[in-house]
Amino acid sequence: MAEVLFYALSALAILFALGVVLAKSPMLSVINLLGTFFCLSVVYLLAGFQFLAAAQVLVYAGAILVLFLFVIMLLNLGDFTAAAESGPGLLHSNASKVGVAIAVAIGLALLIASSQGVLGGEVPKSPEEGIDDMTLLAAELFGRYSLPFEAISVLLLATMVAVVVLAKRQRKAAAGGAPR
Amino acid sequence: MNVPTEHLLFVAAALFSIGVLGFFLRRNVIVVLMCIELMLNAANLTFLAASRAHSDAQHVNLVGPVFAIFVIAVAAAEAAVGLALIIALFRLRQTTEADSVQEMEG
Repeated sequence: MAEVLFYALSALAILFALGVVLAKSPMLSVINLLGTFFCLSVVYLLAGFQFLAAAQVLVYAGAILVLFLFVIMLLNLGDFTAAAESGPGLLHSNASKVGVAIAVAIGLALLIASSQGVLGGEVPKSPEEGIDDMTLLAAELFGRYSLPFEAISVLLLATMVAVVVLAKRQRKAAAGGAPR
Repeated sequence: MNVPTEHLLFVAAALFSIGVLGFFLRRNVIVVLMCIELMLNAANLTFLAASRAHSDAQHVNLVGPVFAIFVIAVAAAEAAVGLALIIALFRLRQTTEADSVQEMEG
């Protein structure tokens, strides 16, 4: 049962990911990305990572995608970018063909590398109650990985300052009238 | 779930290459950022698959989940800065098309 669910959700996640690339408007891309994230979240749950599944929904679907939606609506990008790039026109230039070639090459390399039989196709015997137990995970995060954990909090503070500086309206110089 | 680790890695490989494809094909900067998020998610899935492969009934491997949490935090920071840059770009040029901003192309 869980296996069927895994394969169905993986296929669905890949379809939604294709939808992100091929959707005509950015709004549809965000909705498709939301589908990918939810499918991946259930895949995490099936693989035994309850906390990561919850974090995926809370942080990705709850925070990051809302940020994307907010910017798309703020800039009113819903439809007018649709005409510029769509369907067959996507492949018009040489640069696009090079991009497709690179993507196919990376995909093939990853597929070959992961099917090399290093793991022998064996199914891991992970614990029934899941792998990322909250108590153990917290002990790791605040014990062995406490320095990177604090670094992340500094990174988030720096990001907050950077975003305020970048997105704030530029003030005109009072006397000269030239933008700063 | 009785699925071999390879199949998780196949899904991650497919998602990553779709992200690369979108990164090169799309010219709307917002969609390019979304493709980067897709690639980061594929990397997360790889971390978790490796952690699952190295866990057994007695001992769990938590390196994968810890790094996945760090990747999620960095992805959130990256999305915030990227979208702020897009807002600044839009304010300057009234566009989000990457092809219309070519000053640094040389």
